[in-house]
Amino acid sequence: MSLPTDFGPDSGGRMKGICIVKPIVYGNIARYFGKKREEDGHTHQWTVYVKPYNNEDMSTYVKKVQFKLHESYANQNRIVVKPPYELSETGWGEFEIVVKIYFHDPNERPVTMYHILKLFHSGSTQDIGIEQSKGLVSENYDEIIFQDPTQLMHHLLTNTKQLTLGRWEHNTNFEDKKEKTRKNILEAKEKIRTEIANLKNKLKLAKETISSFKEEIAKSQENQFLL
Amino acid sequence: MADVRDIMELERPPTPEITRETILGDKLKKRNSTGPKVSKRPEGMHREVFALLYNDNKDAPPLFPSDTIGNNGYKQTKIKLGMRKPRKWMWMSFTNPARSDNATFYHWRRPSDEPKEYPFAKFNKKVDIPKYTDTEYQQHLKCEGWSKEETDHLMELATRFDLRFMIMADRYDTEKFSKRSVEDLKQRYYKICGILAKLNGEKKIYTYDADHERRRKEQLKKLYERKPEQIEEEQFLLGELKKIEARKKERERKTQDLQKLISQADNQNDTPRRSDKKIPKKKIANPTRPSRVDTSHILQTIESAGIKFPDYKNSGVSLRSQRMKLPANIGQKKSKGVEQILQDMGLELNPTPSEEICQHFNELRSDMVLLMEIKGALVTCEYELQSLRHQYEALNPGKTLSIPQQLTSNTEVEAKISTSEIIDVVGSPDTPSNA
Repeated sequence: MSLPTDFGPDSGGRMKGICIVKPIVYGNIARYFGKKREEDGHTHQWTVYVKPYNNEDMSTYVKKVQFKLHESYANQNRIVVKPPYELSETGWGEFEIVVKIYFHDPNERPVTMYHILKLFHSGSTQDIGIEQSKGLVSENYDEIIFQDPTQLMHHLLTNTKQLTLGRWEHNTNFEDKKEKTRKNILEAKEKIRTEIANLKNKLKLAKETISSFKEEIAKSQENQFLL
Repeated sequence: MADVRDIMELERPPTPEITRETILGDKLKKRNSTGPKVSKRPEGMHREVFALLYNDNKDAPPLFPSDTIGNNGYKQTKIKLGMRKPRKWMWMSFTNPARSDNATFYHWRRPSDEPKEYPFAKFNKKVDIPKYTDTEYQQHLKCEGWSKEETDHLMELATRFDLRFMIMADRYDTEKFSKRSVEDLKQRYYKICGILAKLNGEKKIYTYDADHERRRKEQLKKLYERKPEQIEEEQFLLGELKKIEARKKERERKTQDLQKLISQADNQNDTPRRSDKKIPKKKIANPTRPSRVDTSHILQTIESAGIKFPDYKNSGVSLRSQRMKLPANIGQKKSKGVEQILQDMGLELNPTPSEEICQHFNELRSDMVLLMEIKGALVTCEYELQSLRHQYEALNPGKTLSIPQQLTSNTEVEAKISTSEIIDVVGSPDTPSNA
């Protein structure tokens, strides 16, 4: 393991062994007009966004965020250069939005996320909840992992300021969700492992039975040969 | 052009083609439409040729001016061939040295050519038939079933028909001697050749395997005389054989994977049962394939079970959720299976990607793949057990082998194995079969 500051000429100025994780939340909120708009047939107003999970100013390390909308929108590629990284539009349909985050150091390649813009409630998706004024919310948690960041990037990532002095909250309680998911997965894992153990025993028995069967057959074949 | 169009089945142009009818039968109308330029088809000119020269559009004929016309062009008054004088042919006599009767025949020949030996005489090849003296015969060539006279007759026929054994067998003197097959003749003849060659000190002696030849011919005869139904049946059986072999291969492959899986599971499950499991494991060693267990053992420790997720050691930015993507080498079937199990267990397909969840989720799905593989292996084992039992039953009529209860059904029975149960499996080994 090399020291964080120890980087050779081949490391591209990267700080080996350093890993910085920045959790983010991305998604959209949508509000129904209550009726179809006469001029263009639009029914919803929506806002797609990327925000930090923790209360920090992402603009220190994020250069810009690009939202790629459906081709039917004018200026399909919308770019936001400062927080809040969000974009509001109106529309009538759901589609996939490509969210691309660019960083200040051009040596760090941008990350791409895909978000399905949600306008309508769907029972299967847990992500969608109704807030009184906001309509529905569909958002996801993810983590940007900076493995061996460049020196510049490391500096920027570690020197972020608070975004607001007030409380920083999300529409979805991700901590709760994480905990539940973790528990479910661990339970499932235990279940699967027990099942594997059982089946493996069976398999062993089967194996042994097969070889004893084979011995039997070999024996009776020998006997037949002798007769 | 109309003919080409007809052949190519192209659509005919709307304007009528120039045919005999349009030109001859409808002269007046034609004149009006095409003017004085149109030329009548000269007597005797083929319609096709005429149409080539004068088509509907009244194009210029597809001719190209050439400067060959000035200096006599393609047209020459006389053909200039070889300048030599023609040589004479003469009706001449010749003898064929291949003939023994010195008959004289005649043919046309150039007297200028050198009188040579008749060129086709060299094709009259004679086979060297070995000869033997009486003493040689008495000393070496005596053979049971062959008298000296018959052998002489055989050699004479061989000389006469240049070893064409088919004819020799046909012309065999059946009044004096019994009928002999082609193989008999060949056997005797080549035997004599071999002995004589040996006497002359030759090292390379050819032998003739008459029995093999007979069998070969018999086989060919059988092959030739097959009925259509028999041919069909044979094709069918061959197809079946192929299928069986494919299945066998598949099963063998699965058996090989089996051992790998077992210890993969061992490595994964650090259960307290582990220690007593190790003991029967040594017994698995298959008497017919002893090496398999050893080799697979090494493999097992190297390869990890289930899904091998790439370890993101590369520098750069990535998303946590990216690390939960199933690798591309996981097949459609497996990933679908994993999805199904996740849904059955009421889990999300894309859970919130925190570091811990990501790790556990990947491990969980890896286990799921392992589980599916073991299930598949069990099915194979069951199949093999069944077929082994059938094999045993066929060998020992009236007796059977009992497959342990846990293995006959696929339900989740808690499988607690003791060694005694394994011994139960074995039938009565000492009783010899009465086959």
